[in-house]
Amino acid sequence: MNGWKILLKEPRIWQAIQSSWLIGITVVLLNLLIAIPAGRTIAFHSFRGKWFFELLFTLPILIPSLAVVMGLHLTMIRLGLTDHWMGVVIVHLLPSVPYTIKIFHSSFERIGPHLEDQAVSLGSSKWYSFYSIYLPLLVPSIRSTVFLVFVISLSQYVLTAIIGGGNVVTIATLYFPFLSTVKESVISSFSLIFAILPLTVLLLFEFLIQIFIPYRKQNG
Amino acid sequence: MKLFGKSNLLFLLPPFILTIALVGYGVIMAISESIHKNEQLTFQYYVDVFANDIFIASLNYSLSIAFVSTFFSIFIGLLITRWLYRCWKNDFLKIVYWIPMLFPHFVWGYMMVLLFSQTGWFSSLVYNIGIIHKPNEFPVIINDSHGIGIIITYVLKETPFVILMLLPAYHQLNHQLSSVVRTLGGKEWDVFKTVEWPWIMPILFETSIIVFSFILSAYEVPYLLGTTYPKMISLLVYEWFFEGDWSNRPKAFAAMLSVTMFIFSIMMAYTSLLIKKRYHMMKGNGKV
Repeated sequence: MNGWKILLKEPRIWQAIQSSWLIGITVVLLNLLIAIPAGRTIAFHSFRGKWFFELLFTLPILIPSLAVVMGLHLTMIRLGLTDHWMGVVIVHLLPSVPYTIKIFHSSFERIGPHLEDQAVSLGSSKWYSFYSIYLPLLVPSIRSTVFLVFVISLSQYVLTAIIGGGNVVTIATLYFPFLSTVKESVISSFSLIFAILPLTVLLLFEFLIQIFIPYRKQNG
Repeated sequence: MKLFGKSNLLFLLPPFILTIALVGYGVIMAISESIHKNEQLTFQYYVDVFANDIFIASLNYSLSIAFVSTFFSIFIGLLITRWLYRCWKNDFLKIVYWIPMLFPHFVWGYMMVLLFSQTGWFSSLVYNIGIIHKPNEFPVIINDSHGIGIIITYVLKETPFVILMLLPAYHQLNHQLSSVVRTLGGKEWDVFKTVEWPWIMPILFETSIIVFSFILSAYEVPYLLGTTYPKMISLLVYEWFFEGDWSNRPKAFAAMLSVTMFIFSIMMAYTSLLIKKRYHMMKGNGKV
């Protein structure tokens, strides 16, 4: 327990947890917002140049993000996005959005477009059919997205360090220089925080599902 | 299928803009930084970088680590996936292979240090049992010149990712085909070669490119587990980019872009291969 005591006395740890949480949740929400419609379009529609879009959307994880961020660095300084949490959020989208699009692409493909057509032919509006049919079916995918993207966002050290410039303190930027200096028990407790944070986010998410997604109570 | 409507194009716009504005713009800016010297066009930095022994050593080191780790992750991941989808149908195992993903790479790296370094747990364990007589007889796995610690960390961390990518493909596989091969007297290897391989090959290649490029350009794990010479490429680049000497910056761009171009050419070769392959499959089946 000594490790926890030392750790919790460190004044920047709370600030770091707070900003990791804020940044992670924002990144997750933006991911969902971007990837659900895009995944649906790629899964349900065939159009010319589809392979091009699919290839393009995997580019951010194939091209080294260090190269991209070094290129963006000067421009982001000019735009005032460095040393600001919004800038960090933007660069965290790079390694996460491709995965989210893949997740929703395959889950829409599994569900198939016919349910929506049925609902629409029975007179439901497109948005209502999405809300009442697809959203409940997408819950497993949304759950894995929340988890995966939040962990990806937590794990970014270099991107956060370059764009955050030392002013945006997340637990990754705090943990990393810590490693070579401090006692083992402190680091071990610190490592556990990396597991606890995603779990709190998952809990919050389950709570939101209970409130917002229809037909959950009967099934659950 | 419905025709491609305007509203659907709109949905592709956000990730499109994101990719173009961040990746496209970032890479173009990086290229421009790497080929300009005092406002003049030059390829001097690329020449410098490839004449630099430190860079070449670090490139070889990074490439071999990335190749070996990717190979083992894919191989082990494939074996486990084949075993998983046959023997385990329940959801419990899904949780098990999610656990390694709970922690960031560098936390795993740190655990490796705790377990395998010469003052670590395993070292003191075998010392106390009496297998080795001095702690420094324990094999050097952490900060070793072959990158064994780095490779083990990546294989442990990337294998679950490989399983995650492959398992859905195995669940969608037509298992009647495997039975056909077996009834006709095929061995396990024939089942794999004729039924599974053509189906999973594209996913396997895509996954290996993702894993490979990730390992090649990662920073955190080699920082913890690597040696001071040769360094993994991203460590070297980060050093060139952020140390006080600004004259090294264009070199950092040139080095990182060379790695990017390497990954890009593998990807292009693979894509052209895949398109041919898809065409053959379409011809064979009469359907997509």
